[in-house]
Amino acid sequence: MSQNITVYTTNSCAYCGMVKRWLDTKGYAYQEINLEEQPERQQEVLEMSGSLSVPVTVVNAANGSKSIAVGYNIGKLASML
Amino acid sequence: MSENNREIHDVVMVGAGPSSLSAAIYTTREDIDTLLIEKGVIGGLAAITDKIDNYPGFPDGVSGLELSENLRKQAEKFGAKIMLGEVTKITGEGETKRLDTTEGTIYAKTVLLATGTDHRKLGVPGEEEFYGRGVHYCATCDGAFYRDKKLVVVGGGNSAAQESLFLTRYASHIDMLVRSDKMRASDVLINKLQENDKITIHLNTTTDEIVGDNTGVKKVVGTDKIKGQKVEFECDGVFIFVGLNPNTSFLKDSAIELDEAGFIKTNSRLETNVPGVFASGDVRSGATMQIATASGEGATAALMIREYLEN
Ligand SMILES: Cc1cc2nc3c(=O)[nH]c(=O)nc-3n(C[C@H](O)[C@H](O)[C@H](O)COP(=O)(O)OP(=O)(O)OC[C@H]3O[C@@H](n4cnc5c(N)ncnc54)[C@H](O)[C@@H]3O)c2cc1C
Repeated sequence: MSQNITVYTTNSCAYCGMVKRWLDTKGYAYQEINLEEQPERQQEVLEMSGSLSVPVTVVNAANGSKSIAVGYNIGKLASML
Repeated sequence: MSENNREIHDVVMVGAGPSSLSAAIYTTREDIDTLLIEKGVIGGLAAITDKIDNYPGFPDGVSGLELSENLRKQAEKFGAKIMLGEVTKITGEGETKRLDTTEGTIYAKTVLLATGTDHRKLGVPGEEEFYGRGVHYCATCDGAFYRDKKLVVVGGGNSAAQESLFLTRYASHIDMLVRSDKMRASDVLINKLQENDKITIHLNTTTDEIVGDNTGVKKVVGTDKIKGQKVEFECDGVFIFVGLNPNTSFLKDSAIELDEAGFIKTNSRLETNVPGVFASGDVRSGATMQIATASGEGATAALMIREYLEN
């Protein structure tokens, strides 16, 4: 199984757009979960990241390990992928 | 252009906020090879602002994100390149400027520093502890998590006022805590705040501590300076807008001169003390911290850069 990337977002969050743009420029596929449209998923993000602040990017690596970045931080994202 | 097999850009702009995007529209139209480097959001602070009512040409206001997207498109249309990365150091190598970035070393004949500012922290107990789970600095990002909840907004300037109004879309009530005896926001915004029955303004009120438990923030403790009494505001979240610090820490070992507050000093041509290095927008000492003026300074800097390159 290859790595799997999820980006949690809200409608008007500019930093969320930048995470998606950065992943696009690096050629990574990802799924997006909009927490404003799916508020029932907010709790899962809070539990996973300890934070209710978007963007949250979750990378499930091929070896089964999971890494999480809260916010848009290129250095952190690059180290997770 | 390249020299010893290394590419040397005519101009590298640090930051891609309104100031350098405007500058880039001008330089690229003059056929000046232009690279922008952006570590955060393209569009800068304007991109995270909900609605801008005072940028000329938009009688009904414009969303910050839309304005930013249009600036980006306009700059890219004329040939500007935007790289996502952070500039960590700038040094001079003779006439050429060397920029160390997270994406490698970049060389330029001229540099425009338009790195803007970042939110200042309040520095009270609980702020760090509850960051991201009750304490926030970006309303357009995280406001949506407070639907029908109670919020505290700390600050009394334009940003605090504008963001409070945005947050009323979601919150059931907002207590605004303002340290001084009056708001520093524009009259238009103050009137809107006063007309909004979801907002209560508390002047002369300091914010001393953010209190919560493992489920999140529960209240803000402050002091009513007039009565000399402790006051408490129950809430589910706190948004902090208490001013801005210049993004100049990456210049600390450079020769570029800063003022006492860390903003970049320039002459009337927007050139720093280092020839060929210019600064514009919010990060410039004396800037008026508006999108229109940041854009205007960007245009001016572009024309000065063209003149420098021609000589
Ligand atoms: C909440 C809020 C509301 C506002 N509302 C209004 C309004 O209604 N009207 C108005 O006119 N103004 C408003 N402003 C002010 C306006 O946003 C700024 O004046 C304007 O964005 C300044 O543009 P700039 O390009 O100088 O800097 P910025 O917009 O701050 O852009 C600078 C960019 O540089 C990047 N950067 C910094 N350091 C580096 C580095 N080392 N490497 C690479 N990139 C870097 C940053 O990530 C940022 O994107 C508001 C500001 C805030 C905070």
